[in-house]
Amino acid sequence: MNNESNCNSVSDVVLSTRVRLARNLRKYPFPARLDRDEKKTVCSLIKDALDGENLDCIDMETLSPVEAVSLAEKHLISAEFASNGTGRSLLLSKNEDVSLMLCEEDHIRIQIIESGLSLEEAYRKADRIDSLIENRLTYAFDERIGYLTQCPTDLGTGMRASVLLHLPALSRKGAVRNLTATVAKLGLTLRGSYGEDGEILGDIYQLSNQVTLGISEKAALQNLNSIALQIVTQEKQARAVLIKDEDFMDKIFRAYGILKSAYKLTSKELTNLISYVRLGAAEGLFDIPVEKLSALNAELQPATMNTKSEVPLTRSQRDIKRAERIREALG
Amino acid sequence: MLCQNCKKSEATTHIKRVINGEATESHLCSSCAQNSGYRDLFDDFSFNLPGIFSSFFGDTALSLGESRLDRCEKCGCCFDDIIKTGIVGCADCYDKFYTKLLPSIQRIHGKAKHSGKIPVIRKEEVTVKEKTPEEKIADLEAEMQKAVAEQNFERAAIIRDEIKKMKGEN
Repeated sequence: MNNESNCNSVSDVVLSTRVRLARNLRKYPFPARLDRDEKKTVCSLIKDALDGENLDCIDMETLSPVEAVSLAEKHLISAEFASNGTGRSLLLSKNEDVSLMLCEEDHIRIQIIESGLSLEEAYRKADRIDSLIENRLTYAFDERIGYLTQCPTDLGTGMRASVLLHLPALSRKGAVRNLTATVAKLGLTLRGSYGEDGEILGDIYQLSNQVTLGISEKAALQNLNSIALQIVTQEKQARAVLIKDEDFMDKIFRAYGILKSAYKLTSKELTNLISYVRLGAAEGLFDIPVEKLSALNAELQPATMNTKSEVPLTRSQRDIKRAERIREALG
Repeated sequence: MLCQNCKKSEATTHIKRVINGEATESHLCSSCAQNSGYRDLFDDFSFNLPGIFSSFFGDTALSLGESRLDRCEKCGCCFDDIIKTGIVGCADCYDKFYTKLLPSIQRIHGKAKHSGKIPVIRKEEVTVKEKTPEEKIADLEAEMQKAVAEQNFERAAIIRDEIKKMKGEN
């Protein structure tokens, strides 16, 4: 297998990569012990330290709840950050690959999002931003326990790296539970995402490093990368078996049929149907790029749709518009 | 069984975690589990478990009444606050309560010695005491090479300037 097809085959399963660094300034108490004005001071210090970076600075107090939730839907900020904007700011690059939540749980949360499996590149970008801030401001750091964070679970490197995996075949096989237990022994966490009440939507899982103290960034990233690749191989093998199942093939084609002709679609239904179609597309049954499906799903989340609409949409109006957009996109 | 965090409601969520081969279990009520980040699965991927963290301390830590009087001079946080909220007040708290915090840090992370990136300014402070200027320059040169290899040219340039400065001073 040549490099390119290998890489394509990985991004059939690995949708995106994220790296996050938690940092705090030595001089100020952690955010939970700051009032609004102090938070604003901390935000502006960090913003000034990155003034050459051409990042948009968004004062979270000025956003409407819908705008804030839309940012959370795109995973640019946490739900907690979206729910309370007091004294907080967000620094965001034009193409939204770099985001810094200021005065969230820590003074600084640097986050890089890359598509596909790209841990090294994502860390390189995060590390560069980190070094730029460090040149201007003094971080809270201790030789014994590393970067000091508000919550002791982030001590050490303060780095949380994760990859988003699409595992429809392993989910059907019931292999995810075992996998979760196995990766836990290797210092990693595997959990379902997009879920509410423990329900896993769209067979999307997130694999991330658990331990941040006592293991270097490089070692943690290598560990995560190699386990991610092993899961990709397992998922690929399971898919090869699964698409020989006629009933399952029927489900894939039916999902495609519904997406192409539905009049109304809820976001939950869309996420679940897209999971089937993404698998079909990855196996070459449909001529749709896998990335396009992920982008469509992100674009059609409720708050993100509302921010793009001039008038607020009702749930039913959104479901109709969502189906329209999908019919148009799938031709 | 009652929730280990609030000790008020019935525990409905059983969380079993294996970290570095060491299993820990917690029983939480639905509201504490939710507050600990177990409901919104896609929320920030950090492991924000104040409830779990405080449960590491156990009841003995909570009974230390005198720890309320011993406060961090910078932020006013006492050790009881850290136990109750699972979060630390400021960087100085880690110094002040280091020995009290260490056992729980070790339960979360296993071995508790930092490995990985060190802020450049801090690195100087650490090395100044034990290394000769020649050794320090050699260290910096190695680090600069590493930065170049990683195509981190900004960092390499900063280190180069430092080396220049040190050579000038000798």
